Amino acid sequence: MSLMNYVYLAIVLFAIGAATVLVRRNAIIVFMGIELMLNAVNLAFVTFARMNGSLDGQAVALFVMVVAAAEVVVGLAIIMTIHRSRRSASVDDANLLKL
Amino acid sequence: MAVVVSSPYLPILIFFACGIAFAALSVLGLGVVGPKKYNSAKFVAYECGIQPSPRADQGGRVPVKFYTVAMLFIIFDIESVFLFPFAVAFDSLGLFALVEMVLFVLTVFVAYVYVWRRGGLDWD
Amino acid sequence: MSPLALIGPPSATFTPSEVSYLSILPMLIVAGAALIGVLVEAFAPRAARFTAQFAVAMLGLLAAFAVIAMRAPAMIGVTLSGAVVVDGPALVFQGMVLLMGAAGLALMAERFGGRGPDAFTPSGSSVPGSQAEGLAERLGTTTEVFPLTMFALLGMMLFPASGDLLTMFVALEVLSMPLYVLTALARRRRLLSQEAALKYFLLGSFSSAFFLFGAALLYGYAGSLNLGEIGRAVGTVSGRGGLLAAGALLLFVGLLFKVGAVPFHSWTPDVYQGAPTPVTGFMAACTKVAAFGALLRLVYVGLAGSRWDWELVLWIVAGLTMVVGSVLSVSQTDIKRLLAYSSVAHAGFILVGLLAIDRAGIAAVTFYLASYGFATIAAFGIVLLVRARGSEATHISQWAGLGRRAPVLAAGMGLLLMGFAGIPLTSGFTAKFAVFAAAVAHAGAAGVVLTVIGVLSSAVTAYVYFRIVVLMFFSEPGGAPVDVLRPSAGGATAIGVGLLTTVVLGVFPAPLLALAASASQFLW
Repeated sequence: MSLMNYVYLAIVLFAIGAATVLVRRNAIIVFMGIELMLNAVNLAFVTFARMNGSLDGQAVALFVMVVAAAEVVVGLAIIMTIHRSRRSASVDDANLLKL
Repeated sequence: MAVVVSSPYLPILIFFACGIAFAALSVLGLGVVGPKKYNSAKFVAYECGIQPSPRADQGGRVPVKFYTVAMLFIIFDIESVFLFPFAVAFDSLGLFALVEMVLFVLTVFVAYVYVWRRGGLDWD
Repeated sequence: MSPLALIGPPSATFTPSEVSYLSILPMLIVAGAALIGVLVEAFAPRAARFTAQFAVAMLGLLAAFAVIAMRAPAMIGVTLSGAVVVDGPALVFQGMVLLMGAAGLALMAERFGGRGPDAFTPSGSSVPGSQAEGLAERLGTTTEVFPLTMFALLGMMLFPASGDLLTMFVALEVLSMPLYVLTALARRRRLLSQEAALKYFLLGSFSSAFFLFGAALLYGYAGSLNLGEIGRAVGTVSGRGGLLAAGALLLFVGLLFKVGAVPFHSWTPDVYQGAPTPVTGFMAACTKVAAFGALLRLVYVGLAGSRWDWELVLWIVAGLTMVVGSVLSVSQTDIKRLLAYSSVAHAGFILVGLLAIDRAGIAAVTFYLASYGFATIAAFGIVLLVRARGSEATHISQWAGLGRRAPVLAAGMGLLLMGFAGIPLTSGFTAKFAVFAAAVAHAGAAGVVLTVIGVLSSAVTAYVYFRIVVLMFFSEPGGAPVDVLRPSAGGATAIGVGLLTTVVLGVFPAPLLALAASASQFLW
């Protein structure tokens, strides 16, 4: 099987994640879409590492996992605070800042 | 009586089939033939000390402490992401990498000390 | 120390990468100050925390700047296996980030001589108006902002000095995440502030995912994450041109989001309005400097050879950014939103200089960022001082007649706005002239078109700024009375530096232009 198929899979996963971010209204689910995008990138990096015969791509995958976890912590803290002060995690309810 | 065993895996397959059939028969058969008498004690969790945790999607509320614990867990979980490749390649890395890892762990330790001093580890 | 060098095949003999500790000393100092700040937060008694935190952070910034100012020629070099490249532009951008960070820090510590509270909530996690918040209010204030700012500054220093895409991504996240948290910490209008943080966080991490995917595609194209290697691969690798073009455009999404260019600008007004005003000033100046530093390195080192693939897109982005930023600033009624749209327009002007793809462009961008950064921190510092019933008077109608109530402050704001508009003898004029001259000289017909668009947009923004000046000096004060607080020494210094650079860089631009030109050679 061609390694390129993994790249295509990564692109599809990335697109699904991006669509989730754009379409869904719940902040938690939007956030899950972003995590899916990051994991799709990991797949792409590992595949390219295999194709190029260098290990850099695998090292990057580790860093992306760490950054994604840090993002989870910061993001959940923000979403939780906003949820506690207005009892809703919907992105549409966060509308004080419109013109 | 000569039984022709075509494959050495056939007995395993038969064993699996018997097991599944027994389990299915017990579960379904009990529902059909068993007596049905309910009381409130039968609806609580079987032989477990506490009630199951409330779930947010069923209107229950989870103490906010769980989020703090989850966040702390993630920090230490992620620390091991770097420790693991270091441990695998430890033999060929030498002193320099050891110093690097000690510095890295110390940096994470600073965050840990902060959490501890500011009460992030207290449950109540 | 390089992460990439650590993970080699176990059988290979491992040689630690060369580390030039002098080159990364300023970053180490800032990182150390941030970690000490965390420990101070953990152990120092509540009463001493504010002073200790401010001292640690400020000393760290000044020490790091002193290292750069005194040892800059000796620091230049590629270190950490190419992960960090400290060259002329990197040092100049790091120096700017440090000085603007110090000015921003002084505004964050502004407490009006103990007569008023600072701009930050005492308890970021509590529900606004709840008992827990009242308790936190009595106990003290949020001094976590100082370590958070230092961590953000660390990322901002690493961003323009990153030699490979992985380092760039890590720096991007290190600078972004503290900013997400800082945005949510406003003392007044907490709901607005939290909402701004949510938007900033979701859109910011969305755009950094695009950046990362672009990095993956470029890695697939060149077989290396190093920007120099990618630059060399452009001429030699054949048959993978699609990866190169798509990767470059995705990387630009991530970086253009950070500088607030159209069509990735929609977060700018909301976040600028919702964030605590000192944080807005800090973010507007330092994030822009760092992100343009990284964008310069990416374009000039990694992607200059493939400019035909993406140049047209960036020309359109630059033109749209100038037009949209200036036109939308006309209809704004909130001073913070107005400054946000003005910053979008400025991002467009800077992009024009960047697209010259020449050393003159690097120098012009550097000069523009220096003049814009200090002035914008001072402008937000002045916004911090104008109050109505305790909270900031951000509606423009509240600024009517300010020239009579506080002539010095209004004159200062007027001067800064003249600088933003680009009136001759202010820094804004020289900066705009430098970027447009670079574009006309080196970007051909596109440079001329962009310059025409830029001059027209400047005229539109000049109208917006003059309207505020007229409002401050030539109209009657109306509605609720507006107070003007007296800043403490630190805040006054930060605002004074902004005013001073606006005048000095306008009248004597030559020394900084010469410095920027001499430090415009990228290494790789």
